[in-house]
Amino acid sequence: MNFNNISELAEAWVNNTMSQADKAALQARMEADAEFAIEFNEHIALIQALNGNGSQKRFRNMLKDIAREQAAPVQKKKIIQLPAHFWRTSAVAASVALLTSFLTYTIISNTSHKPNPDYSTISREVDHLKREQQKQQATQNAIMDSLSRKNAPASPVSDARYSGTGFALTNDGYFVTASHVVNNGDFDSVYILNKDGQYYKAFLVNFDSKSDIAILKVEKKNFRFGKLDVPYALQGEKASLGTRIFTLSYPNDDAVYSEGYISCKNGYDGDDKQYTLQLPAGHGQSGSPVLDEDGQVLGILTAISSPGQANTYAVGTESLNDLLQKMPPGNKLHLAHGNKLGRQWHEQQISELQNYTFSVKVYKK
Amino acid sequence: MVHSLTDTETHILAALGRGDRVVTEQVYRQNYPIINGWLIKNGGNAEDAADIFQEAMVVLFGKAQNPDFRLTSSVSTYLLAVSKHLWYKKLQQLQRAPQRLADDGEEGSHDATYEEDLKVHLEREAHYEQLNASLDMLGEPCRSLLKAFYHHDKSMQEISADFGYTNPENAKTQKYKCLMRLKKLFFATQAK
Repeated sequence: MNFNNISELAEAWVNNTMSQADKAALQARMEADAEFAIEFNEHIALIQALNGNGSQKRFRNMLKDIAREQAAPVQKKKIIQLPAHFWRTSAVAASVALLTSFLTYTIISNTSHKPNPDYSTISREVDHLKREQQKQQATQNAIMDSLSRKNAPASPVSDARYSGTGFALTNDGYFVTASHVVNNGDFDSVYILNKDGQYYKAFLVNFDSKSDIAILKVEKKNFRFGKLDVPYALQGEKASLGTRIFTLSYPNDDAVYSEGYISCKNGYDGDDKQYTLQLPAGHGQSGSPVLDEDGQVLGILTAISSPGQANTYAVGTESLNDLLQKMPPGNKLHLAHGNKLGRQWHEQQISELQNYTFSVKVYKK
Repeated sequence: MVHSLTDTETHILAALGRGDRVVTEQVYRQNYPIINGWLIKNGGNAEDAADIFQEAMVVLFGKAQNPDFRLTSSVSTYLLAVSKHLWYKKLQQLQRAPQRLADDGEEGSHDATYEEDLKVHLEREAHYEQLNASLDMLGEPCRSLLKAFYHHDKSMQEISADFGYTNPENAKTQKYKCLMRLKKLFFATQAK
């Protein structure tokens, strides 16, 4: 046993990660060497104080955060993920515009047989544009944030918090939301808030930031979303243009119903894993299920196209099925195959659906 | 029913001690209005109420760190009593202590317990303050590194990436060096 790194020893002692043999060796040394014993005890006192002080600080910060939220319950969900797509969308739009002009340029230059040395310059410019937009978005968020909290003391920037919608995959706790809602895995904790106002802690099982899908599971043992199995099934094939659709989401703590139709078989920038929808959608609705009139899940809401909200985009169930094929070992999902919603009145469908949809709340220090 | 009640209280305490957000939110929602109401009646305002109540929650949090700690009263009673004591202390400091606080007195015999809890709390606060002062005396990167690990609960992996160490092992070695220096500073100030 090495007695040189006394800090490391003290840390292992406090965290109780020391082997019995090492503990015995340490105790023997302390009995033999009083000076060492004092030194070691001081280190333990220091680490315990640091631990205690740290956890108390975090507790105090959490209390302040809770106080802020309860003081302004209506405004608490101002920081939401969907706006994050504005910069992405506009960045992609900008790059498309640049690319178009670049293409025009190449066509022109090809006809005039000139070499074109601008490719890398343009791509760097795109990067630069993206960065600029990211920066602007960050300031915008900060402004929105400070506006929403004008009556409360300013909070640290790292207090970011997201909220979206999720829906059950299996009755025993597996559910889906958009990957960006859970910040692609970079969060401290996730809870779902169901229609009865109950919170349940969840953990991330699998996610794919490219298709923007995340699969999570409620931690609680023997958890059930509803009395019966999940009443809807996942649509196997791509739905056709003009299919009537509806969704249930939780922009606030209450369920919100909206309906529309598939306006394009492909999604953003021709993405054939997505649908373009005519469907009113906004903050906090990412991750909502998109269902057809028979109650089959066609996709998951992921983004809106611009501040004008002209288009809404949903990831098709194909990507979800792909992700389900790649689950980490130990996760057995028994998906519902039957679709019980098909035989019900629309109002019944919606009421039934509320048991299996919920708000997803993501906390990050 | 008595059993299930105490079980719930023990569960709440354990969760509070861990800093569980959901439970803390529930306790906050249930108790803050009571303390706010009492404080308004006794010459405080909403801001005082938030300060006092949060301090009382921290006292309870401190008590809950000891896994053997059991409340002799309910969480609500405890928070209200501690809040009253804290408020009384604050008024004394401001030298406008009333002769007797309104609707006070039902906890009478427990006063000593609460006083003791507050005393421990204040001693701990002073201890932590000294520790923070020592931390601030440390130079960089030690100060930021230790704060990231102990205050912000970051993992050594994250820290190693954030501070630009080539691997977590190097960051760890640096952390132990920092701890040695902090220990010297901290116990030097204590000896004074």
